[in-house]
Amino acid sequence: MQRAGFRQITLALMILLTLFIFALIFEIISHTDTVSLITNIVSPEIQFAIRLSLMTSLISTMMCIIVAVPVSYALARYDFHGKALITTILDLPMALPPIVAGLGLLLVFGTTAIGHYLTDLGLKFVFTPLGIVMAQFTVNISLMLRIMRSTFEGINPRYEHVAQTLGCTPFQAFIKTTLPLSKNGMLAGSVITWSRAMGEFGAVLMLAGATRMKTETLPIALYLNMSSGELDLAIASATILIGISAVTLYLFERKGGIAKLH
Amino acid sequence: MNMIKISHISKRLGDFTLKDIDLSINEGEYFCILGPTGSGKTILLETIAGIYKPDSGSIMVNQDDMTFRPPRDRNIIMVYQDFVLFPNMDVRKNIEFGLHYNGPGSGREQMSEKVKDTAEMLGIGHLLNRHPSTLSGGEKQRTAIARAIITEPKMLLLDEPLSALDTGTKGRLMQELLRIHRLKRTTTVHVTHSFEEAFTLADRIAIMHEGRIHQTGTPDEVFRKPNSRFVADFVGVENLFHGRSVIRDDISEIEVNGSIMFSSTLRSGDVSVSIRPEDILVTKEHIESSARNSFSGVVTDVTRMRSTVKLVIDAGIPFRVELTTRAFDKMKLNTGMKVYLTFKASATHLI
Repeated sequence: MQRAGFRQITLALMILLTLFIFALIFEIISHTDTVSLITNIVSPEIQFAIRLSLMTSLISTMMCIIVAVPVSYALARYDFHGKALITTILDLPMALPPIVAGLGLLLVFGTTAIGHYLTDLGLKFVFTPLGIVMAQFTVNISLMLRIMRSTFEGINPRYEHVAQTLGCTPFQAFIKTTLPLSKNGMLAGSVITWSRAMGEFGAVLMLAGATRMKTETLPIALYLNMSSGELDLAIASATILIGISAVTLYLFERKGGIAKLH
Repeated sequence: MNMIKISHISKRLGDFTLKDIDLSINEGEYFCILGPTGSGKTILLETIAGIYKPDSGSIMVNQDDMTFRPPRDRNIIMVYQDFVLFPNMDVRKNIEFGLHYNGPGSGREQMSEKVKDTAEMLGIGHLLNRHPSTLSGGEKQRTAIARAIITEPKMLLLDEPLSALDTGTKGRLMQELLRIHRLKRTTTVHVTHSFEEAFTLADRIAIMHEGRIHQTGTPDEVFRKPNSRFVADFVGVENLFHGRSVIRDDISEIEVNGSIMFSSTLRSGDVSVSIRPEDILVTKEHIESSARNSFSGVVTDVTRMRSTVKLVIDAGIPFRVELTTRAFDKMKLNTGMKVYLTFKASATHLI
């Protein structure tokens, strides 16, 4: 009798939680009718936000891949002094609140000699779309590193050993064996990185600011329009973000990528 | 004219160490490194291949210092126990892999001709379009060997190449390795923990234990004159006899001291016969069985070990056998008692 009660309580809680999450999503999507939702999605402001979000997130995801592949390879394959410390530091952006990472970025690019030097070269990060890319990259690189590292660790280093004895340079051996074998991990990592970049708010707000029609990504559009009482426009960008999350979750589950995070 | 001379190689890698390894391997030789699992044999091969750099010592090939040369410039190819076929390529692409990086680029047509010849030599010509994951263990290892020998390496390193295979496949592939070696005369270093492989294949063997080479010589030398306690314990409990063998009806008949033994290793002329003590069945009554070898003799010596008992039984030839203490006690054996010995032709190895 008691055991049956326990079972029912856990199941009831599970159903309540599911309903709660469903209600959140449902409330957003059903708040406006379809016609006005579509009207708002095709409005110039939301169209701008979609384009800017897509562009910046695709570029920052590419940057994550380009940087994460060699760095996580080094972490997966080589042993060196201070490896534990370096790993912890590299993991930090993932644990840090994005808004704190954004503050750090603002200080580095806005106040240091390096920042001024880059600005002189034409690489201006503060309050620009370039800053959006940099903010997304910084917040997401840790996760990409983790996924790629566990992917590389799961690939037998002997593939490269054999390829090297057969005449490859270390780089050729990597390109011919480990890299193609890491395809699934890289795909899963890219999808989740991209989706998080699309939704990144805190770090972007700090470094790139929230300027309408200039650094207005989808989450920034949501924030700006909520502040100015334009609920329908806010809901339009929220709906798009929900759609992206749903697609990402589906792709990621299908590739079995969640397991790779642990 | 030593082909490869390894002098004083030491290497630490995780839990494994190589300690002051000295080896000379001759051109065209089939050399086996025999030792229990975990004795550092794989790391030794990987160091010879150049995958790891030794902490000290040198590796010379034909008077040419190879110690710090990258693997690709050595022309020494490694075949692993777990095959390590590239899963992102089919059998054909696996076999031809080395051709893309070795010597003057040969044309498409020459290349595919060479792949076909090598695959056929190993009996896998019909598998070229298959994916490695669809192959049996034996087929995988044949593919790995084809991938290695197609580049005509100076030296072939085989790391426990037969350990992951079932008994039947193992025997067939062993004969194949022998045949290919006779055909190509590629200097081969084969690492194993199996006496049978070492005996069947090796011109010379080295006994390795805990990162050290304990003894080097022909299999017969090492077995008859172990130079240390470890080697003696590792190989010395064997029954080793000398005799003359003739092949009759697909089985070897060996005359040893006037008695006849049968072996499924086909070899004729003067041979050494080895039988592992645990392969000999001891009974108090004569039994009928499919095993070809049957002797009767008298127990002349009993040595109690921790969990086993070693017996010497004089059957015209002195056989050493090993029983568990429990079996020994149950049979109530003692010196002077008459017993029967039975063992299979397949447990009788010829060197």
